[in-house]
Amino acid sequence: MNATYTLLEMRRITRNYIGLFFTAVLPAFFFLIFGATIDAKDTAIGNGNVAMYVMISMACYGAATATTSIGGQAALERMQGWGRQLGLTPLKDSSYVGMKALIAMVVAAIPILLTYLLGVFLGASGSTSAWLLSAVACLLGAVVFAAFGILVGSAFNSEASIGAASGTLVIFAFLGNVFIPLSGIMLAVGRFTPLYGYAALARFPLTQGHLADGSFEPLWVPLLNVVVWALIFGMLAVWFVRRGRDRQ
Amino acid sequence: MNHASSAAVELRRVTKTFPGTPGSPVRAVDGIDLTIDPGEVVAFLGPNGAGKTTTLDMILGLTSPTAGTVRVFGAGARAAVCAGRVSAVLQTGGLLHDITVRETVRMIASTYAAHAPVDAVIDRAGLSALAGRRVSKCSGGEQQRLRFALALLPDPRLLILDEPTAGMDVVARHDFWDTMHADANAGRTVIFATHYLEEADAFADRIVLIAGGRIVADGPTAEIRARASGRTVIASLPPGRAAAGMDRLHGIEGVVEVTERAGRVCVIAADSDAVARLLLTELGGTGLEIATASLEQAFLALTGNGASSGKPGELASQGTSARPSGSATDNGSRPSGIRLDELSTDDAKELTR
Repeated sequence: MNATYTLLEMRRITRNYIGLFFTAVLPAFFFLIFGATIDAKDTAIGNGNVAMYVMISMACYGAATATTSIGGQAALERMQGWGRQLGLTPLKDSSYVGMKALIAMVVAAIPILLTYLLGVFLGASGSTSAWLLSAVACLLGAVVFAAFGILVGSAFNSEASIGAASGTLVIFAFLGNVFIPLSGIMLAVGRFTPLYGYAALARFPLTQGHLADGSFEPLWVPLLNVVVWALIFGMLAVWFVRRGRDRQ
Repeated sequence: MNHASSAAVELRRVTKTFPGTPGSPVRAVDGIDLTIDPGEVVAFLGPNGAGKTTTLDMILGLTSPTAGTVRVFGAGARAAVCAGRVSAVLQTGGLLHDITVRETVRMIASTYAAHAPVDAVIDRAGLSALAGRRVSKCSGGEQQRLRFALALLPDPRLLILDEPTAGMDVVARHDFWDTMHADANAGRTVIFATHYLEEADAFADRIVLIAGGRIVADGPTAEIRARASGRTVIASLPPGRAAAGMDRLHGIEGVVEVTERAGRVCVIAADSDAVARLLLTELGGTGLEIATASLEQAFLALTGNGASSGKPGELASQGTSARPSGSATDNGSRPSGIRLDELSTDDAKELTR
């Protein structure tokens, strides 16, 4: 691990105020609107309340946005020649990926911390283990979306595509039971979309499988969703990165 | 040559094939043998798509050859890079735009176990005044000097410059080469690719002419320049006698290229007197013009012929077939967009017409 390089990368990200606003501040803002101010916020769900449920959902959205953009930027900078520059140094590919993964985790932690902090003050409640485990699941599950960012960045090779990928996450969030509670046919379809499993898994320590519409869902459903989408995004990312290298 | 242990660079039967379109792979490098000794300053000269960049990429370990071996200071290419023996200034692209000049140097410096001091390198590249500037705010020439600073970090024994002045204006180009000259430490091996003959002429001890993925000429700069210089002789031949006349013209020693369009025959030759004499007397030519070929034009003719025949050492006697003008740089080139030197063959011929 290369501390100088990682710190310089971190400074680079903190300079991007607009990007930081969308990853860090927007999810917290959504939590205020969709979670902390609604009438049902104190309604019990699992071992806590609805405010906690919305808090975890928004943290997931923010973390996924962060890792998508970090992954996309990494793919883009490599496609656009920085990879060749690094190829002239002793830096190993694995070190580069390790550093980027660490950075993605740190940046993903920002919306999680901010949203959870708001949750403490705005009446989110759940068991201690629900607070801890949901945060951990939120952070680790976001890795899947780093692969999504990498695949979009290397497939389209443009700044605009990274913005589009982040925009797509908004759609995934609506379809994936993240922004508004789904039921009936929408929920049945939404189960197959990428953000569904990740958010449901992060909420599982709170909900214990009880959904907002009153039904019950075993743990394997979100787990399977996460595993399948991790495989899809991961394999596509590898394929597009290889294609990009062959074209250089 | 027997420099297996001491050579800075040794390429043996190196080829590189790209997938290209399905069914028709592109052979960018087609069997290059080359030995470069420590301390040599060598220019790779050739048109776009000649295989210069691909060859340099293999020396740098950025891509591996399809066949053949690459040794750099007796080791594999990647090992030489990791040991800091080799560094390079690559073609445009390859910088992060949202960080400063100094941060870029610090970032790359951090990847080496040992490196020259960051500020010293910035100073040597003439960037001290710009150290705090964002890369996005730097001009093309300034960005190129930054790449040069990055290349100096490991204090490499071999420095590779891939078209280091592409896209620069004349002033920036001169500035860059001034910086290079100032830094040309005794004993440092330098290989640079260019399609500016004047650059090769001014800076290299040795020129390797590359076209169509092959070496078409290799020798001391003065020798290559002598071969590339020559005159262009143009005349009209009577109808029906052009084909026979062109055969005769090929027979003259030192004729490099013979082309014909709309009854006008264009000959590039070292001995323009002999060509003119033959054209005016035995061939019945009229409207004779003799022009001193620019080095650039003659060079393009040389590499163009080299690509179609492909064997080194045959330059003087080449020109075995009349070709439509404009095909000079088409051979074996990868599609890379039209650039100045691909236009200039036609342009040069139009100008002499």
